[in-house]
Amino acid sequence: MGTLIVLIVFALFLTAILTGGYNKTFLERVKNSKVWDWLTTVDHKKIGILYFLSGFFFFLVGGIEALFMRLQLVVPHNDLFVGDTFNELLTMHGTTMIFMAAMPMIFGLMNAVVPLQIGARDVAFPFVNALGFWLFFAGGLLMNLSWIFGGAPDAGWTSYTSLALNNYSPGPGVDFYVLGLQIAGIGTLIGGLNFMATIINLRAPGMTFLRMPMFTWTSFVTSTIILFAFPPLTVALLLLMFDRLFGSHFFDYTMGGSAVIWEHLFWIFGHPEVYIVILPAFGVMSEVISTFSRKRLFGYTSMVFATVLIAFLSFMVWVHHMFTVGLGPVSNSIFAVATMAIAVPTGIKVFNWLFTMWGGEIRFTTAMLFAIGFIPTFVMGGMTGVMLAAPPADFQYQDSYFVVAHFHYVLVGGTVMGLFAGAYYWWPKMFGKMLNETIGKIHFWTFLIGFHLTFFPQHFLGLFGMPRRVFTYQPGMGLDSLNLISTIGVVGMAIGTIAFLYNIYWSFKKAAPAPADPWDGRTLEWAISSPPPVYNFAQLPLVRGYDAWWMEKQAGNKSLPPAEPLGSIHMPSSSFIPILMALGFFIAGFGFIFRGDFVGAIIGLVLVIVCLFLRSFDRDHGYHIEPDEIEETNKGVQA
Amino acid sequence: MTENQHSDNHAVSPKPESAVKHLISFLIMIILTAAAFYVVIKSGSVVAEHLILPLILVFAVIQVFLQLFTFMHLGQKGSAYYAIFIMLGIVIAVISAVGIILM
Repeated sequence: MGTLIVLIVFALFLTAILTGGYNKTFLERVKNSKVWDWLTTVDHKKIGILYFLSGFFFFLVGGIEALFMRLQLVVPHNDLFVGDTFNELLTMHGTTMIFMAAMPMIFGLMNAVVPLQIGARDVAFPFVNALGFWLFFAGGLLMNLSWIFGGAPDAGWTSYTSLALNNYSPGPGVDFYVLGLQIAGIGTLIGGLNFMATIINLRAPGMTFLRMPMFTWTSFVTSTIILFAFPPLTVALLLLMFDRLFGSHFFDYTMGGSAVIWEHLFWIFGHPEVYIVILPAFGVMSEVISTFSRKRLFGYTSMVFATVLIAFLSFMVWVHHMFTVGLGPVSNSIFAVATMAIAVPTGIKVFNWLFTMWGGEIRFTTAMLFAIGFIPTFVMGGMTGVMLAAPPADFQYQDSYFVVAHFHYVLVGGTVMGLFAGAYYWWPKMFGKMLNETIGKIHFWTFLIGFHLTFFPQHFLGLFGMPRRVFTYQPGMGLDSLNLISTIGVVGMAIGTIAFLYNIYWSFKKAAPAPADPWDGRTLEWAISSPPPVYNFAQLPLVRGYDAWWMEKQAGNKSLPPAEPLGSIHMPSSSFIPILMALGFFIAGFGFIFRGDFVGAIIGLVLVIVCLFLRSFDRDHGYHIEPDEIEETNKGVQA
Repeated sequence: MTENQHSDNHAVSPKPESAVKHLISFLIMIILTAAAFYVVIKSGSVVAEHLILPLILVFAVIQVFLQLFTFMHLGQKGSAYYAIFIMLGIVIAVISAVGIILM
């Protein structure tokens, strides 16, 4: 208690000093600084960049963890990272890649692109958008700080009970997993809701549902999956938190609980989750392939239908992760059939992409290369998926490297390649600078070859009986050379990623400003400058058909027809409340993890409630940008 | 933001809603939650033990309806989207529950 009072007094002093007690210009300087602008922004374009870059940061962290695991497995009986450390690496690699890398980068693209594609000036709830980002960031940071504070979680990314309970996972590791994911999960959930509201309500005049670009469609469907899939995770994490922190016994079978309930809850969330990360990649691919084939997307309506169908089916297949639990042949058969059914809409999509390219005027830009590389890679992952969906065979594949190979083919071959394609495609729109095509091609080829070299041998490692999540193997079991090849492949992926990093550096330092429409694009975002002005569209556009911008270009128009006269534009004000609220959750998370008397948790939650209060009685209703100001910026852009 | 955007599918309420309605249903929901906790903690002494589960289920159902109609505006016109998504939610919840219990 004494320390707490000292801390509070110190904080008060600091606030007094910084807010003008001694230095009155300080506050002014902070408010005008770029850092403050980014920390308090509610602009979807800036939040998109924040999401994408912090997601990429966590992608690097997760990648280094993967590199360490492959280094451990390069030769038999290696002792680089053994036992607990290896378990921590594999847990953090999986969790970081799924929750802290793939999803934020997807949200980054969604934020940067979706409002532009539907002709909106921002998302429906800009404040909530900022809050969603900061909550994800707080959660991700919290989980990764576990490396410093008492050990990372080591119960696998699925965190199965009973292993994840206090008895078998003592120490704060799994607590970091529970609290970190819970906080990041709130952010993801409100982000998903926000995009649903945006896409339903803020489409430009004339933009009917069946004129929406494919990426917007997949974002919409993904948001719907998030809405229904994240609550089970929230519940599961809450129950696990109570089991670990407050002595309840939901998952403790010795006290009448059920360990299988965790698996159910986790996979009811977990299976839709894999579609959350793959569907937006499908959307990116549809945009990229259509643009660089100079053709309308083949079978647009069937693409929409397939997307919705995949989303719907994704909720009735979760038991295929639990075939070996012993739920019985009836259950296993039903879920096996449902799982194989998903191959049908996915197949529709693959054929539509192929037919889009057929007869098209294909340009092999980096984005298009990633899209073309994606198709066979993803199909291979899909094929092994159907193999795994057959329960009798699954009993053999279960928990072997075959499974690892399968999901890396769909997640890296699908999601990561999709994200890279999206990055190269929309980079000029996000940052106003092009990425270098030559470096981009080096990136693509090293990454693609490295990827196949890494993961293709893992199919056979699995079939030869190498279990996943085990840190070593015996020599002379036929596993040595394949493991060596697999580790060599990682070098290719690492070089590819470094090439991408250099490309980012190149684009900021040396690239010329990007034109508004560098790819001869088809959708609305290419009709405005790169990067777009803060209000996106001076006048909301009138949409006259699918591929609206392409239609106007074909009709010889230089710009989109306006749907409204030039008027003053209402903009939301920046706010520091989102980051403060995320900080509250962050402190609360730490407070729960350190247990004791939960002082930190209470302080954090009080801060959250204060922020809620501030927000509820906030009288700031934004500001207006007047027409003359808009005209001035427009002139600046044209000159 | 929103008033600048045209939207074809807004839920249109005939008149602005009063905050009182929201406050009252919020209060009722808090009371029902507290009551459910109280009944379980004092298990046996307030309500007979075999009645606890049905009772808190009744509390839960009342809360669901309050939630749907006051906060999620299910009663308003033009709420087709809400209806679609709520139905979808119910379908998925039922599938999950049936899957867990029967499988």
